[in-house]
Amino acid sequence: MPGGALAGFRIVEYGDMVSAAYAAKLMADMGAEVVKVENPVGGDTARQRGPFPGRIPHPEKSGLFLYLNTNKRGITLNLETQRGQEIFRRLIAQADLFLHNIHPTRMSALGIDYERLAQRNPALVMTSITPFGLSGPQSHYHAHDLTLWNAGGLCYLNGGGPGSEDLPPLKVFGQQAGFQAGIHAAVASLGALFARVRDGLGQHIDFSMQECLMAISEFAGIMPAYANQIVVRFTGNKAIRPLDIMECKDGWIYLCCVEEHQWKGFVDIMGNPEWATEPLFATRLERAENWDALKLFLEPWVKEQTVQDLYHKAQARRIPFAPVSTMGDLLDSEHLKVRGFFAEIAHPQAGTFPYPTAPYHFSATPWMLRRPAPCLGQHNAEVYGELGIDTREIEHLRQGEVI
Amino acid sequence: MSKPPLDGIRVADFCWAWAGPYGSLQLAHLGAEVIRIESATRMCPTRLIPPWAENEKGVNRAGYFNQYNQGKRSITLDLKKPEGLGVAKKLVAKSDIVIENFAAGVMGKMGLGYEVLRKLRSDLIMISLSGYGTTGPESSYVSYGPPQVALSGMSSLTGYQGGPPQQAGFSYGDPNGGVHGSFAILCALLHRAKTGEGQYIDLSQREACAMLLPEALMEYAINGTQPDRNGNRDPYLAPHGVFRCQGEDCWVSIVVGSEEEWRGFCAAIDQPGLTADSRFCSLAARKEHEDDLEQIVTLWTRGRTAEAVTHTLQQAGIAAYPSLNGRDLLANSHAAERDFFVDLEHPEVGKRRHSGIPWKMSRTPCAVRRPAPCLGQDTTYVLEEILDLSQDEISSLKAKAVLV
Repeated sequence: MPGGALAGFRIVEYGDMVSAAYAAKLMADMGAEVVKVENPVGGDTARQRGPFPGRIPHPEKSGLFLYLNTNKRGITLNLETQRGQEIFRRLIAQADLFLHNIHPTRMSALGIDYERLAQRNPALVMTSITPFGLSGPQSHYHAHDLTLWNAGGLCYLNGGGPGSEDLPPLKVFGQQAGFQAGIHAAVASLGALFARVRDGLGQHIDFSMQECLMAISEFAGIMPAYANQIVVRFTGNKAIRPLDIMECKDGWIYLCCVEEHQWKGFVDIMGNPEWATEPLFATRLERAENWDALKLFLEPWVKEQTVQDLYHKAQARRIPFAPVSTMGDLLDSEHLKVRGFFAEIAHPQAGTFPYPTAPYHFSATPWMLRRPAPCLGQHNAEVYGELGIDTREIEHLRQGEVI
Repeated sequence: MSKPPLDGIRVADFCWAWAGPYGSLQLAHLGAEVIRIESATRMCPTRLIPPWAENEKGVNRAGYFNQYNQGKRSITLDLKKPEGLGVAKKLVAKSDIVIENFAAGVMGKMGLGYEVLRKLRSDLIMISLSGYGTTGPESSYVSYGPPQVALSGMSSLTGYQGGPPQQAGFSYGDPNGGVHGSFAILCALLHRAKTGEGQYIDLSQREACAMLLPEALMEYAINGTQPDRNGNRDPYLAPHGVFRCQGEDCWVSIVVGSEEEWRGFCAAIDQPGLTADSRFCSLAARKEHEDDLEQIVTLWTRGRTAEAVTHTLQQAGIAAYPSLNGRDLLANSHAAERDFFVDLEHPEVGKRRHSGIPWKMSRTPCAVRRPAPCLGQDTTYVLEEILDLSQDEISSLKAKAVLV
């Protein structure tokens, strides 16, 4: 098995931060030949966001960039120049898939024009990942990860709890809009590649980040359509309890009793205390209604437990408790070690660290590391050489700020 | 216009609840024929939870099920009966893909493990989506969607400044696991197209969630620390938050992405002098005085609607958008103009608005072709048209209560 499931596919990626990079990373990790195009000055803005070793910013040492760009070759190209756009067209002429997340208002100035690119390469699949899509009254809107998480109806759902009425809706950590756009756009792109294999023809995919977040918004859109209500973060979806995070002696645990037998098992672990026989707590619906009271009994007991002890005890009785894992818990996890989820990757400038690899094991075409994330312009000579541009010409273009 | 990408691809879908069905939903969106193997003896949990259409309970009236199973078909089979298992295997033999999200090992115990199924179809692609994966000391552990967010590390990183770990507001681990599963299936399909070879994929939802946390995982890997919970703030940008607006529980999200945008922001809120204020004249200064900064922003937003704030700031080139609730979501005129919503007629609950497909393909358009299936509605179709069973065979199955 040389190469991986996507061996032979040639993919070009251009953009900033997460969405296009994550889609392309997943494909590169599955064996596709991915060329990442970056601006000669500064490159992908992810290089400016850490984490950095010792918190000292360095464009070759951003943990986010290093993770998002494993297995890719990297070139620099200035698409704001005519010559740069000409080279870009030659690069795309040989590509199977072009993924980008350039804002709709900047696409044509950079020469990102599907019709023109497809004329030369009718088999090209081009995926445009944009905040609000390429059409519609708000397609020109500016966006960042936080505003998209709100535009998708997801932020509004989170952050409730006693005394929190004055606190705003709460985002989830990190660049979640970017990641969801990346994985969903990767699905759409591979679908179009499958159609290409069948028909010999490519196409343009107009992918809206807002829409993919609306698509995963669980009860948010369903409640109004079916029950004429909305989900608010103060009560959440807690028709059943406990379904809550609670503090232990040495950390936090997620208590989860969805079925009656799970609650009974938990009561047993607690030593069958008197209070658990209260009619107030008899069924899961009543436990939800009387949660304020139930909490008063649970909290002191849980506070005396250690996370791992309670977790494994519960799981031994088939109760789906889970630790509120810290990053240390994940990197030290025996289970994840056996799964091979983390792998040490050496980078010539950043050094060697453990990285997450992939969440799936393929029996025939496993995840493989071929190269770490590229340094800025690292593969210029190699990739431009493949286009017939020799090192002298590259130097000339570099001086002209094209490369 | 051409056939959708996965036209002619058939999926034997053993999934239930959310994660698996969200994965097979993407395949249905891409045009595959996705056949859910269900049973009234082992009902999909999402057919049993509210909200119900018009508050009337019914296995075909559940909004959650109807959203995440759009475009699919449903056959009822009692897999505990040998005849039911036999029909399921016949269906697998005629399918390209098997997808399931039972706990690790359950399919094997039912007699439907990969080693058995690949004998029915040598190029079969099969994926198991489980919380922990099928290997490792915790692979037998019970996994539900909501705790996945905590298990994967996401909760530890999410919360208000100085506050406890929080959840995501929804069972985020589920759709995330599902969509990573559909990606994996497509990789396997492309590999099969090139080589004729199928394979087995073992996906862990916990790991799929951990893939979304590199900024924190890499900080720990590199520096041995993890970011403190910081509400809606961002280490590299300010202002960056969700601010109160006029109206009950109305909020707007705002991100100022550069010094140039900061100047534009100050002009837009009629406070051009702020740019000269030493507390705010650089990103570092704004981060140091972020509490004051956010108070100033709130003073401006709270007297305005979220829409007005958004309009003003967008005109000034700044990222802003209201914090949409569920009703706002379905009424969003931009998404509606893009035909994102699906308003199909369902045989039992009538026309309901659902979220649709987040991509548009120019040559092979994708569309939700049918509403979510009523329980077992396609049993006859599958038995007669796909499996070519005779009327006698079907009668016999009915008589033995297999088709339930």
